[in-house]
Formats: sequence, structure tokens, C-alpha cells
Amino acid sequence: MIKLGADSVEMREMSNDDIFSSRLKLLIIMIKAYLKDCPLGNYRKQAIIENANQVFCHSLQLVSESSSLKDHGIDVQTDIVSRETISAEHMFHQRVQLLSVMAKAIAENRSMSSFRKKSITDNLNKICETLIFNFQVRDVDFLKVA
Amino acid sequence: MSQVRIPNIKIAVIDDDLLVRDFMVTVLMYCVNRDVLSFDNGLAAWKYIKGHESPDIIISEIDVSGLNGFELMAKFKEKSPDKKCLLMSANPSNEQPARNSGADAFLAKPVTVNDLFIVVETFVVKG
Repeated sequence: MIKLGADSVEMREMSNDDIFSSRLKLLIIMIKAYLKDCPLGNYRKQAIIENANQVFCHSLQLVSESSSLKDHGIDVQTDIVSRETISAEHMFHQRVQLLSVMAKAIAENRSMSSFRKKSITDNLNKICETLIFNFQVRDVDFLKVA
Repeated sequence: MSQVRIPNIKIAVIDDDLLVRDFMVTVLMYCVNRDVLSFDNGLAAWKYIKGHESPDIIISEIDVSGLNGFELMAKFKEKSPDKKCLLMSANPSNEQPARNSGADAFLAKPVTVNDLFIVVETFVVKG
């Protein structure tokens, strides 16, 4: 028997944040695979659309929870550092939502010019910088076939 | 040109947590580019397995209603001894019983995308 997943001391039920983080990483992998010309079968396209929808909704929910807290006067910190953090978080979620839209466009066969591909790559890189996530498609051979 | 081949494989995921189940289905469907079955309890999964050709791989949470993961695995392995059964849990005390009862893999929650990629590499691509 092989064991995968968390170390025994770190085992726990998966939280909403675990799922969001994992789905976002999956979305990044899906788009990187597309940019590396990995094939997209019908089920892969379906999985991309489903994942993009989930990430988009979860990101919207996180943004709305955050602004709802502010509206109720909770955790209102008005110093410059806090405002910069809030702004960075807001921008991160805007980028994530944009990535979701881009992923859906890919799965729906919308036309992809070189400029669109460049903007997808730029957005992807910014998100990966924030997450410190460095996935290489070349490490996963099965993504190159469908 | 890659020599990797993805066979025509049928996978079933059993978990009563909708978010986890849907996440796993999305990852696996993307990886193998095939439809992936999903069930929210062990009994529903077993009813399907009994009446159809067995999935090649089942991935079941241990603590599900109807039939738990161990009971489902026992019935599944009796019907299809050559097929793979992977058990998952958030409870570390389930690992040793999973090993003793003949599970092919134990997935300790929280699982990551990379863990599921390893599942595909190990049980689908390398067979």
C-alpha cells in the first residue's frame, strides 16, 4: 500500500480554503498545459469549465465576505500598510477572477491571438508569484496526451 | 513524442463531502480525459458496482454512510480482485486498518492536486 497526502500529524478534514487553494492551483496547471500545447479532449474542457466556475464563485465569495466585514466595522485598519494589504488582496482576487474567465474562453474554443496568450501568461505569472507556485508541465507526462 | 498512454479507464469517487468529491472528480476527469463516477455514500456506490461493469479504480472516503470504505472495499475486491481500491481519511488511526485490509493506497486528507497526479501516474498510466 502506498500512502499519499498529509503527514499523520497534519491530517484533518479539508476546509473551504483548502479546496479553493487546490482548485486555483489546478486552474493554473490547466492553463499552463494549454499554453504548452497539451491536448484538450471534451472531458478536459468540461473539467476546465467546472473548475473555472468554482474558482470564480469562491473568489467572489471571499471578496464579498471581506467587504462585508469592513462594512460592519470589523477589522477596519486604516493605516497605510493595512490599506496596501487590502488593495493587494483585492487585486489578487481580480486576477484570479480574470484567470477563470480566460480558462473558460480556452475551454470554449474562443479565438486566441498571440496577444491574448501573452496576457494570459502575464496574469498567470503574477498569480504564481503571489502564491509562490512553480509548476512545470514537463514534469507530468500524462498531460501531454488525452 | 511522449510514450505515455492513458487507457480507457473508469474511476469512481465516493465521499459524502460534496466540495471534496467534486474537487476530486474535476482533477481526475481533467487528468484522464474520461468521465468520472461519483457517489455520496458507500451503498449507492456498491449498488452501481453490483449492477455494472466494475470501475477500474475506486477512491473512497472511509467514513461514509451506507457501507463504510472498508465494507465497500471488501465487497468490491470480492467482485473484482484485480481492480484497485484507494481509501482516504482525515483520521490517522485509519491508516493501519487500511493497510491490513488490503487497500492499494491510503490518501491522508487534506489531499492536494499533486497527490491526485501521483494516483493517476501510479494506477492509470503505469497501470
